[in-house]
Amino acid sequence: MKQIIAEFKNIRKEFPGVIALKGFDVNLYEKEIVGLVGENGAGKSTLMKIMTGIYQPDGGEFLLRGKSVSMRGPLDAIERGIGMVFQEGSILPNLSVAENIFLCHEKEFSRLGIISEEAMNKKAQEIINQHGLEIQATDLCGSLSPAQRQMVEISRLLWLSDLYNHENPILILDEPTTVLLEREITKLFENLKIIKAKATIIFISHRLEEIIELSDRIIVLKDGDFVTDMPQKEASTTKIEQLMVGRDLATGYYRVNEQIEPEEEVVLKVQGLAINSMLEPISFELRKGEILALTGLVGSGKEELVKCLSGSMIPSQGKIFRNDKEINIRQPKHAIENTIGYIPIDRRVEGLAIDLDIAENINMLVYERLKKHKLINRKKERANALHWMDVVKVKASSHQMKCGNLSGGNQQKVVLGKWLSAETEILIVDHPTRGIDVGAKDEIYHHIRNLAKQGRSMIIMCDTLEEDIGLCNRMLILKDGKFVKELECPPNAKPTPADIIKSIV
Amino acid sequence: MDRKRVDVLSLVETYRARFSKTSAGKLYGKIPISGQIVALVIVSLIFSFGTKGQFLKISNIVTIMGLAGIPMILCLGVHQVIIMGAMDLSLEGIVAITAVFSGLLLKNSVNTNDVGLWIIPFVIVLGGIAGMINGLLNTKLRMPSFIATLGMSWTLFGTAIMISRGSSIPIRDLRFQKVIIANIFGIPVVFVLAIAIGIITYFLQKRTKLGKHMYAIGGNEVLAKQAGVNVNRIKILVFTITGVIYGIAGLLLVARLNSSAARYGNNLLFPAMTAVAVGGVSLSGGVGGALNAMMGTIIVVALNNGLVLMQVNPYMQSAVNGVVLICAVALTIDRKKIGLIK
Repeated sequence: MKQIIAEFKNIRKEFPGVIALKGFDVNLYEKEIVGLVGENGAGKSTLMKIMTGIYQPDGGEFLLRGKSVSMRGPLDAIERGIGMVFQEGSILPNLSVAENIFLCHEKEFSRLGIISEEAMNKKAQEIINQHGLEIQATDLCGSLSPAQRQMVEISRLLWLSDLYNHENPILILDEPTTVLLEREITKLFENLKIIKAKATIIFISHRLEEIIELSDRIIVLKDGDFVTDMPQKEASTTKIEQLMVGRDLATGYYRVNEQIEPEEEVVLKVQGLAINSMLEPISFELRKGEILALTGLVGSGKEELVKCLSGSMIPSQGKIFRNDKEINIRQPKHAIENTIGYIPIDRRVEGLAIDLDIAENINMLVYERLKKHKLINRKKERANALHWMDVVKVKASSHQMKCGNLSGGNQQKVVLGKWLSAETEILIVDHPTRGIDVGAKDEIYHHIRNLAKQGRSMIIMCDTLEEDIGLCNRMLILKDGKFVKELECPPNAKPTPADIIKSIV
Repeated sequence: MDRKRVDVLSLVETYRARFSKTSAGKLYGKIPISGQIVALVIVSLIFSFGTKGQFLKISNIVTIMGLAGIPMILCLGVHQVIIMGAMDLSLEGIVAITAVFSGLLLKNSVNTNDVGLWIIPFVIVLGGIAGMINGLLNTKLRMPSFIATLGMSWTLFGTAIMISRGSSIPIRDLRFQKVIIANIFGIPVVFVLAIAIGIITYFLQKRTKLGKHMYAIGGNEVLAKQAGVNVNRIKILVFTITGVIYGIAGLLLVARLNSSAARYGNNLLFPAMTAVAVGGVSLSGGVGGALNAMMGTIIVVALNNGLVLMQVNPYMQSAVNGVVLICAVALTIDRKKIGLIK
């Protein structure tokens, strides 16, 4: 039996109106990788924030190496051998690798307050070589790839725990894979497995496949409570999903039973669309009420294709027809005029004005309609916002709540509401469920199905192949900028991911 | 129209990327202020043709050095705050107040004071306190530095005018002027002083914790705080150091002109800002350093000197400075980092 490194005893945390952690026990062992799963709001982040001292527990104890501790903050946590790699990363792009690694610990290299850069760079090079990073200590972090930055950050935390003489540091990784490419994820996992020999790693991710692949043990949280933990051998995505949500999702997942046959009418036709050096000519049609999935790896050209359709990129050749009429899309404005809407992958940056309230976001495209005597009418504004909030079921205290304060799922619904309010007939949805928890995902699926029923057409690109297959009527597969093949995905005869993966890779 | 703009930017990017792969490009990338050196060479070439070689005569170069001294010191002050991603507009106010106090405390024709050399620690403390107030307003009252320092500038300028009753104060202690207008090995003392302050700031930035943390804050304040940087302390310190530098510049101005008035601070902020931008210090923080500030000042001063030598209409010189500022920012701004231009 491995030794316990840290344990939570009857740990409790309350926020006004919500009990974030209901009081449960969890143990962490030496030299293991623990996958931590749960819906948004299940208590994962609260638990981690207690570990790193950002929050103080309201009840119970946190024992580290057998001793009860109360962390005063991230720095204190680091000094006690607990480091966290935050989702957004905490590497400063304008500093060199060495400066980042030793930020706030420059005194190791300074004499009478004067830092020796040579010593600092030499030590940093040693550290990054240890972790198999092929970069220079003097490189600016801004020029590194997200994967390299992440490794720099992990190296920093491990060096710090060495510095403070901790045998078995605890490393927390919060959704580290969202910013990485497929092969970078593989590399990260290899590295983590090496690091495991001398550390405990807590791995948080929404992608269950990853969790199962990497973790030795998986802890499931739900509604601020501990559900169960299981060794890797016993884990499966369906099993975990059921535990996370507490209901059976397997039946009618992706709401396949609600899938409808699209109408004959072609609403969008793309003919020989191409972009120099990125996408070879591609032609396809989109029918009314149809859900078309675009699949392919990063670099397959699918992103560029939808950018052309939404007006943020200009194709070098090819034609686009909307209801048999040729249209010219050179700016997002043109797409909107042709009732083509685009729901981008990064809601917080491209999809929403997060500092504005829900009503302002929903009404953004339709202010013309909300006018009375040439001026925008407050009543109409409110009515329109409330109507669409109700349709897409945004959970918020009022239509004047700031979008930045909403959960990921609700933000996505607001984006959806905005496009529906603009009477968009064709929606391009880039990763509709990224960063959204399982329960909210199902609601989004429900909306997608409903939109199809209402005769709206959609082009989707999803997080996983399963999602693509489950949601779409038809699938286009792209590889290296080339169209590979087209697949029908009727409700009763869906292809399996294995069928498709060969064409993609 | 929109399409064309994007094309120009991406074209510049492609050429920049292609150039940086060549061996000349690699060398260019290694030298920290290579762009500014190239700019200075171009400016010098144009003016030496324009003035038939007069521009590059030793005597003119010495003149440029003398002219560059005080602006360089001011630029070395303001650029430190900009590196932190903040803004400091209090320059003119702090210079005005230290100038007026220097005038009234040294032997002068208005009152009977004569503090002699004690004026040096005095201006350092006065400038430091003013800078520290900037820092306190910014960190403790959580005011945007832009507006806090603008308010300070007017407050101090007004106070300076009030104390001096709006008139200039002739100085009767001639020692200061004698030192300031002298040359050491043919180089103006004021320029040597500026270089000395430059070296100290460079050292501070590269070799001390304060410097490293200053850049960290400029890169991303939130992340710097997470890593354990004492953001407030560093900010107050940097504002204070900047205030000290302004104070010294105020005294130097008084010494050189041998009189003092509140308006001596006027019209100093714009050249300092231009020098910061021309030198390649990113206005969004975190990039650039003392070398950039010094080189930027030399370019701006050389440019103005060249225009004077070519007998360009003095009214046009302001316009030229404005265009230079816009061009410098257009060329050096990191559009990726800023993301949205507001």
